[in-house]
Amino acid sequence: MIEQRPDAQTAKQELVSMYPAKLAKKRATQVVVNDVPESGIVPEILVNSRTAPGIISQRGCTYAGCKGVIMGPTRDIVNIVHGPIGCSFYAWLTRRNMTLPPTPQSENFMMYAFSTDLKEENIVFGGEKKLDAAIQEAYDLFHPKAISVFSTCPVGLIGDDIHASAKRMKEKLGINVFAFSCEGYKGVSQSAGHHIANNQLFKHVVGLDDEIRGSRKFRVNLLGEYNIGGDAFEIDEIFKRCGFELVATFSGNSTYGSFANSHTADLNMVMCHRSINYVAEMMEKKYGIPWIKVNFVSASGTAKSLRKMAAYFEDQDLMDRVEAVIEEEMAKVEVQRRKYAARTRGKTAMLFVGGSRAHHYQELFKELEMKVLAAGYEFAHRDDYEGRRVLGTIKIDADSRNIEELHVEADPEKFRARVDSEAEARLAARGFKFKDYNGMMPEMDPNTLIIDDISARDTEKLIEMWKPDVFCAGIKEKFVVQKMGVPCKQLHNYDVGGPYNAFRGAVNFYRDIDRMVNSPVWKLTLAPWQESAEPALEASVA
Amino acid sequence: MTILRHTPKGEIQERSALVINPAKTCQPIGAMYAALGIHGCLPHSHGSQGCCSYHRSTLTRHYKDPVMASTSSFTEGTAVFGGQANLLTALQTIFSVYDPKVVAIHTTCLSETIGDDVPQIAKKAKEEGKVPEGKVVFHANTPSYTGTHVTGYANMVQSMVKYLTQSTDETSEHAAILPGWVEPSDMREIKRIVSLLGVEYVMFPDTDGVFDAPMTGKHVFYPKGGAKLEDIARGGDAKHSFALGHVATTAASEELTKLHKVPGTVVDLPIGIAATDRFIEAMRAVYGFEVPESLNDERGKLVDLLSDMEQYLWGRKVAIFGDPDQLIALTEFLGTMGMVVRHIVTGTESKYIEARLKEVNPEANIKVGGDMFHLHQLMKNEPVDLLIGNTYGKYMARDEDVPFLRSGFPILDRQGHQHFPTVGYMGGIRLVEQILTLIMDRIDRDVEEHKLELQM
Amino acid sequence: MRKIAIYGKGGIGKSTTTQNTVAALAEVGKSVMVVGCDPKADSTRLLLNGLAQKTVLDTLREEGEDVELDDILKPGFLGTLCTESGGPEPGVGCAGRGIITSINLLEQLGAYEKDLDYTFYDVLGDVVCGGFAMPIREGKAQEIYIVVSGEMMAMYAANNICKGIVKYAEAGGVRLGGLICNSRKTDREDELIEALAAKLGTQMIHFIPRHNDVQRAEINKKTVIDWNDKCEQAEEYRTLARKIDENQMFVIPKPLAIEELETLLMEYGLAA
Repeated sequence: MIEQRPDAQTAKQELVSMYPAKLAKKRATQVVVNDVPESGIVPEILVNSRTAPGIISQRGCTYAGCKGVIMGPTRDIVNIVHGPIGCSFYAWLTRRNMTLPPTPQSENFMMYAFSTDLKEENIVFGGEKKLDAAIQEAYDLFHPKAISVFSTCPVGLIGDDIHASAKRMKEKLGINVFAFSCEGYKGVSQSAGHHIANNQLFKHVVGLDDEIRGSRKFRVNLLGEYNIGGDAFEIDEIFKRCGFELVATFSGNSTYGSFANSHTADLNMVMCHRSINYVAEMMEKKYGIPWIKVNFVSASGTAKSLRKMAAYFEDQDLMDRVEAVIEEEMAKVEVQRRKYAARTRGKTAMLFVGGSRAHHYQELFKELEMKVLAAGYEFAHRDDYEGRRVLGTIKIDADSRNIEELHVEADPEKFRARVDSEAEARLAARGFKFKDYNGMMPEMDPNTLIIDDISARDTEKLIEMWKPDVFCAGIKEKFVVQKMGVPCKQLHNYDVGGPYNAFRGAVNFYRDIDRMVNSPVWKLTLAPWQESAEPALEASVA
Repeated sequence: MTILRHTPKGEIQERSALVINPAKTCQPIGAMYAALGIHGCLPHSHGSQGCCSYHRSTLTRHYKDPVMASTSSFTEGTAVFGGQANLLTALQTIFSVYDPKVVAIHTTCLSETIGDDVPQIAKKAKEEGKVPEGKVVFHANTPSYTGTHVTGYANMVQSMVKYLTQSTDETSEHAAILPGWVEPSDMREIKRIVSLLGVEYVMFPDTDGVFDAPMTGKHVFYPKGGAKLEDIARGGDAKHSFALGHVATTAASEELTKLHKVPGTVVDLPIGIAATDRFIEAMRAVYGFEVPESLNDERGKLVDLLSDMEQYLWGRKVAIFGDPDQLIALTEFLGTMGMVVRHIVTGTESKYIEARLKEVNPEANIKVGGDMFHLHQLMKNEPVDLLIGNTYGKYMARDEDVPFLRSGFPILDRQGHQHFPTVGYMGGIRLVEQILTLIMDRIDRDVEEHKLELQM
Repeated sequence: MRKIAIYGKGGIGKSTTTQNTVAALAEVGKSVMVVGCDPKADSTRLLLNGLAQKTVLDTLREEGEDVELDDILKPGFLGTLCTESGGPEPGVGCAGRGIITSINLLEQLGAYEKDLDYTFYDVLGDVVCGGFAMPIREGKAQEIYIVVSGEMMAMYAANNICKGIVKYAEAGGVRLGGLICNSRKTDREDELIEALAAKLGTQMIHFIPRHNDVQRAEINKKTVIDWNDKCEQAEEYRTLARKIDENQMFVIPKPLAIEELETLLMEYGLAA
């Protein structure tokens, strides 16, 4: 089979040549044949660049990244969308981030959609008064701890000052009210919205509550985990068994209070580097909390991440507990892995999704002994592809420049360096690295295809050429791919499956991928008479 | 434990600014749905790419089928300088990469507020050779801050009439059918009924075979279904138009009269016995046919089912939310079944709708321009035996432990709506069967053990 | 029906010129509708003798969908029909969108289906955004007159408006009918505007001398013809009205580069 596939270079040419000349020239820098030399310096790729108008892209908007992704999973903030009704409607419960309030009475607004439902007259005459009134009505009904406001495209044009409104209402109501200028047209994808959400969370919430609750030891935050399908629940359970005190998750299964208290942690672990590295960086500068990159997708990734966390705290008991948990869990996982890998070995996959998932999920395919042929992100930046070593060389373009970059300094009272120079040296000597992320490309095979912002046309063409056994993407691609007879695993909502994080989650994934690639349904596409002109059965003679 | 735990019982506080749990969404998605009812059409969203992404996602979740549409991908610069450059590039890209027969552009709140002149830009694109010979580009204005998703559908269908219908001087006998926003299965059923009546027709839009495409091992970018351009064009020569659903189709019907002097009748969506009767009578008034025996039989079967099972339906209370055309016909049908519609909410504001709903349901609590939070409060204050609405109703249904019939848009968690119609007499049979099953399952679940009935 | 839009820099006297010209057209029996496209809603005040006109947008806000044409279209001097789009307070909302909304509503209500000889759009200031271009889009207004004076900024604005016209002229068919010079008594003003018109490829259709009668009439909430149909200034507006009525020169303007505009001013002695 493999021999019949065009090689990567040819495939790239095929993909690029489908576009008009000018666009083709640009696409040629966004589609890269992977190469991993000794130096680890992979080829440069053009990413985080505008999608050409008319192209059917996977991408969404800034508002989706801010309201949907980062702020969506927090249960006790009333999130009011200031705009026409659609924006609030489409971001209503559509991302499958689960939440589990501690009691039946605990606040949980996640099943609610709140909107100022702007009408034509509000656009013409301004909508700020309506926003004030909406905040008041939300307060009167629910008395929440905090209310946040999200701006949408037309609001940006008519110039409603949502921040002034938030400030007014904060003073009036005595609760925290803050706003996000996340108009959909800002930036080139959801990514700008992540950054805006990070900024406002950091500015308005993080650091408000200094009280230390729970254990004083091994206090950590998990950043960039959104509890899709209960992923965070799996990680939480493992953390408990190992003895880590999880202060806050940004933002799966989170609460307003946990964000406010998050600066009391001693280590930040970054899972989705793309969406949350801003908060990690700012917390390090302001409060002295260092961050490390982790990945709880896959059993091996989970084990590696847990060891790294334990190593940071340099506590033998902790390390022993972590090893015990890993040993116990890995034994169980391995039995299952072998069983499933026997059925998936040698099969092929492609992943085109998100800003980290296309990378993280490759670990799971490795555990299934499958081969990844091609991958790419929907909204990532160069560091997510090529590694953080390229950070200094990324050119800031007009679309990035209009996203606020917060200037952060060490807090005179609250800054506390978590690691002194001696500890730093000790850790370094053991090969421990902070802020270390090599990106997706160095971990992929040479001659795989890396495609940024894949289009609907690319998707079809790529599947036609390389015929993968499973394709990973999102809802808009799912049924296109499946119409072609190839199963599509959604890595945004997991096809209502999961959790896929940590050890048990990995086994869930093995089982689901085995089911998908070996399902009898893919063999039903053709009727007998479509496969052969001769009838399969002979007519019976009475 | 309740999921919507913050929804209070008791006195309902009126809200003037805050909508909670909307019973509507915005115009462009309706325009996109309607445009996909043209064969070979690529809908194009003139605005930020998030709009297009959200609409495609929602339609895909509803149908579990590919939904293709493109976007002008506005950036901050576009918002300031206008969308002309983006739309010109988009049209060029679309025709060279996706090769549609038709591009149906709809606007968004962003391009509407900037004030982009879409026809002017489309004309420029043609003049600059960005639209190949023989290809069609047309548009509808769908500002998201006016009306609802149903308005967007109505505006796009009106634009189809405006741009795509033609009249020759020859008189024709065929009818133009303008269906409201219904499922592909319903569109198929409407065509079947009109065929049974022996009337030649053109129908647009027609999503039959678009969102319920077969699995063939190939992705067919422009599925088999959809109204063909030449058929839509013939709409201008129709003897009469029949528009189904006042909110979704009146504008198109009037446009057809204005442009091509095609007289039109707007009837309710043919859901239930009375509304289907009226649809057929409206056609009979124009064509004078004799209704075939087979259709009489279908009607008779529906009446038979109702007469057999009326005891399970009589007096049961219903709360319902959804789109206005559906609500008018469906609540009328529920009344026919002997059920009592207690609470009605639609997000679409319209005095006409309010008047019609009151006329059909004089006793009910009716909130036009309301939201699901309000409906839930009504249900808490006066419980019902059945809730009808889109998938978002499942949270209320579970909290209040009420049987729940999924109906309307979007249905994100059940299948069948694209395959099995609810219009016409056969559609009525399906609705009655679904409602009976829900109610009877509930009786079986709740009845004391010694009273569990074998026969029902 | 001829559909005319009057543009020009803010404060140049568009509303005054429009209403006085409309009064002159009405005097000779023309049936005219005036659509004010300025949030200040003062485009029909003189025709209505100061009657406070409820704007389209205010009516829409209060009545919702039940607006009727009579609510927003009032009869003024000699049967002219007057309507005001209205709009937001300065500094909030989107005045441009307001114009789009109200013209759409007027169309829906059939305002343009009446038996009219003329529709005049009196548009605020410059073509600053898509909304302010609404009157010249989609064939709504076919001819444009720009009110200008010999002042630098007025000419600069006129040139900008021409750029707007070019954009819509190519696709929508709108044409420039000429410049109306509303004199500010600057040096060699008539020659200067004649020269500007020539450069733009159009004509100065009329030169309205500055006269206090205009102010006197305004204080009385009347157009000049209404106030004193015998005065000299009334004759000026009659002439302008006649010229517009007989105008045959409709062009796609050729906007000037900013340097050209400056040169022009130097030449006619503004800088001297």
